[in-house]
Amino acid sequence: MAKTLFEWDYSDYPGAKTYPHLFKPIQIGNLMVPNRIKYAATEDNLNGHDGFVTDAGVEYMRQRAIGVVGGLCFMQGVYMDEKRQGQGYVGQAAAWDDKFVPGLKRIADAIHEAKAVAGFQLMDCGRVGAVEADYCHGPSAIPQRLRIFKPVQEMTKDDIKAVVQQHIDAARRGVEAGFDIMEISGIVGYLVSNFISSYTNRRKDEYGGDIRGRMTAAVEIIQGVKKVCGPDIPVGIRLCAEELLDDVRGNTPEESMESYKIAEEAGADYISCTAGWQESIYPVISRDIPMGNWIHLAKRAKEHVNIPIQMAYRLFKPGLPNEKIGAGELDIWEICRSMIADPHMPKKVAEGREDEIRHCVACNLCLARLFRDAPMTCYINPVCAHEWQEEFANPKPAEEEKEVMIVGAGPAGLECAYMAARRGHEVHVYDKRDVVGGTLNEAKNAPYGDDELWTCVEYQQVMCEKAGVTFHLGTEVTGDLIEEEMPDTVVLATGPVYSKIEAPGGDSDKIVNLLDVMSGKTGVGETVVVYGNRKPGIGCALHLAKLGKKVTIVGREKSAGFDVNPSFKWRYMIYMRQNGITVYNDCDIEEVTDEGVIARSYDGVRWPIKCDTVVISDRGPNESLKKVVQSEGIELFVIGDALIPRNLSSAVHDGYRIGIRL
Amino acid sequence: MPVDPEKEINKIHRTLQSTQNEIGKTYYRWRKVAIEFAGEKAKPLDVALRAAEIFGKDIGKSFLPRMNWLKGEEGFLMILARSLAGLWNTEGGLATVEKGENPGELLIKCTRDPWPTWAKEYGAPMEEIALCRERMYQTILEDVSLFMNVPLKIELQKAISRGQGETVMKLSKAE
Repeated sequence: MAKTLFEWDYSDYPGAKTYPHLFKPIQIGNLMVPNRIKYAATEDNLNGHDGFVTDAGVEYMRQRAIGVVGGLCFMQGVYMDEKRQGQGYVGQAAAWDDKFVPGLKRIADAIHEAKAVAGFQLMDCGRVGAVEADYCHGPSAIPQRLRIFKPVQEMTKDDIKAVVQQHIDAARRGVEAGFDIMEISGIVGYLVSNFISSYTNRRKDEYGGDIRGRMTAAVEIIQGVKKVCGPDIPVGIRLCAEELLDDVRGNTPEESMESYKIAEEAGADYISCTAGWQESIYPVISRDIPMGNWIHLAKRAKEHVNIPIQMAYRLFKPGLPNEKIGAGELDIWEICRSMIADPHMPKKVAEGREDEIRHCVACNLCLARLFRDAPMTCYINPVCAHEWQEEFANPKPAEEEKEVMIVGAGPAGLECAYMAARRGHEVHVYDKRDVVGGTLNEAKNAPYGDDELWTCVEYQQVMCEKAGVTFHLGTEVTGDLIEEEMPDTVVLATGPVYSKIEAPGGDSDKIVNLLDVMSGKTGVGETVVVYGNRKPGIGCALHLAKLGKKVTIVGREKSAGFDVNPSFKWRYMIYMRQNGITVYNDCDIEEVTDEGVIARSYDGVRWPIKCDTVVISDRGPNESLKKVVQSEGIELFVIGDALIPRNLSSAVHDGYRIGIRL
Repeated sequence: MPVDPEKEINKIHRTLQSTQNEIGKTYYRWRKVAIEFAGEKAKPLDVALRAAEIFGKDIGKSFLPRMNWLKGEEGFLMILARSLAGLWNTEGGLATVEKGENPGELLIKCTRDPWPTWAKEYGAPMEEIALCRERMYQTILEDVSLFMNVPLKIELQKAISRGQGETVMKLSKAE
């Protein structure tokens, strides 16, 4: 008889009717899980650099536990060796000693308080580890492809035995801390995957050779952990269904499926199915990859094993996982970044509040931060990692109700508006456009998934409506209007001002504005120079290249995409190359001529670039209305691109921070 | 003001040449320092070869992200050979890649090399240059071989130490 930890009845949840397969129980080992939802273990760098759990980490997990409405909620993978060779992140939780158990128990308790199933993950980071040590370890000393990782030391047989024992000891600590289900991480370049892959395992002993030999370490770990966990605590493993390492002679898909079968034989109670390594040259989870791109791998896995298969990877909305579970091609919907962006995402699905979900935009800023030793943050969710700060995460109602005029219905203005209204202020949002969204109306037209950015505005608009914000669209705010309304507070979220070319020919007819081009209001010639090499310029260049234009970018930043996080920037570099876009960085336009422009490098070299049209994408702060507001003695805040042109994330974070301050 | 192409190209060319010149001269300045620190008992050639190994180790790391087996062994060897030739070109040489006599052999040929001139200017033996380049390439190949699980070797076939004629290296799989 399978054990049930918490009783859940979803019959009153509207989402359970819309997505019936997501809210059906499933047996994993001897454990009955009430639904098919899992918050997958995700590093957050929120723990102490000594590996101890912090308040920030506990509250982060508590919110995700509430979000899974009774499902599986896994804390981040723990490292297990005192020498810290297995530690891949500076704020990774540790479990190499019993002294960590009380802290880990706080997380298990927080998950249980939400009546969710507490998952514990064992994660030796292998060749991507040793973030605080000089050498990482692996089955073979294969040089690192990426310089950010430490040199690899080849493990002796004694080292391997020690690592297996470390997994077993850490699992015991997880059990003592109160966790209900155990998971071994064997993916993306972590130690177990290093043993499994032909790319990183060249051993000639029993831990190397063919796929069965390369699975030996994984099998010993599964069997050892199973033994210490006993019959009531299921043990699963995360394994690559495709390593995407064919360029460096990694495992074939057939070998990967063989590894699934061997894991099942060894006693694994489930497999979490993944794709790609950190060293893969293929994109896996960025916005340019279509939703559901990898779900066929779950189906393939199910054709090879009989234990439950779980999967995340570009499954941001409930429809597809519900359908695939119904079709028997998937068993559990894993969620990672979508619950970083909105910790209560599945709960909102269950409660029929999908319109209130703040969707992940797959920018990978969260990952970029982790690899740069910074605490987790989210591009789109300002509260992420601040859950423990009550005044920030759940601000109190305002002590004094104010009449707030917000100028600009872009992401900064909307974010500020609903937070201020929710706290009891009377909020009026004005915009000279007759639609909300500000410059995101144009930015969403860029290719490679940028339409997903619009989900931010959809969410904010719903939240504004529910908070009682009054909109005045199609109304341009002037000094007279401010004097007439005399609000208590004005928030300027007017967006940026587009730069002019301060050079001979700067008033040429061939110069057009990025917004007009992206909205289709203005046509362009066959050859185009985009002035500005930040994200807006890149988006515009790609948009025009997709229309068949010959595009050149001229920009003053030393590298194109300077303002894009490195985990996404590499995608843009490849797409610009693929679309034949020429990029001149660290230079300026010296003159606009009849034939095109004359560019000038930082060191004075000049050259002509032929073009029919010049698109200006460089932006500056918007100073208009500031003096009027100040002269009236009205409280003033400037946010978003109006303050300093940056990105969508800065707009949302600015808006939130001012919204909770008013 | 209209662009004068001759003037602009000349400007870029001069900058490129002075940069390459400075790379070579900086190497020989540091060579002097290293030999001085190594002491009287150390042979200058040994010091230079050790430097070549250190350079090769570091450059090898930067090669790894570019290595790719998707086009098979032949394609991989060509990418590698072009990367080695490209490195030579960056340092002022004029190197190209040609297929060798046997399958799986590639020749890296350099027909112009400014290094002997710099060596002469700083009183270093010109014969050292080809040996150092060979050692540097061999060290690069150590990491590449291990990374791709393909044993590789590179051998100096012909060296005109005085910078005239042609220097040839053969890249192939080690049996």
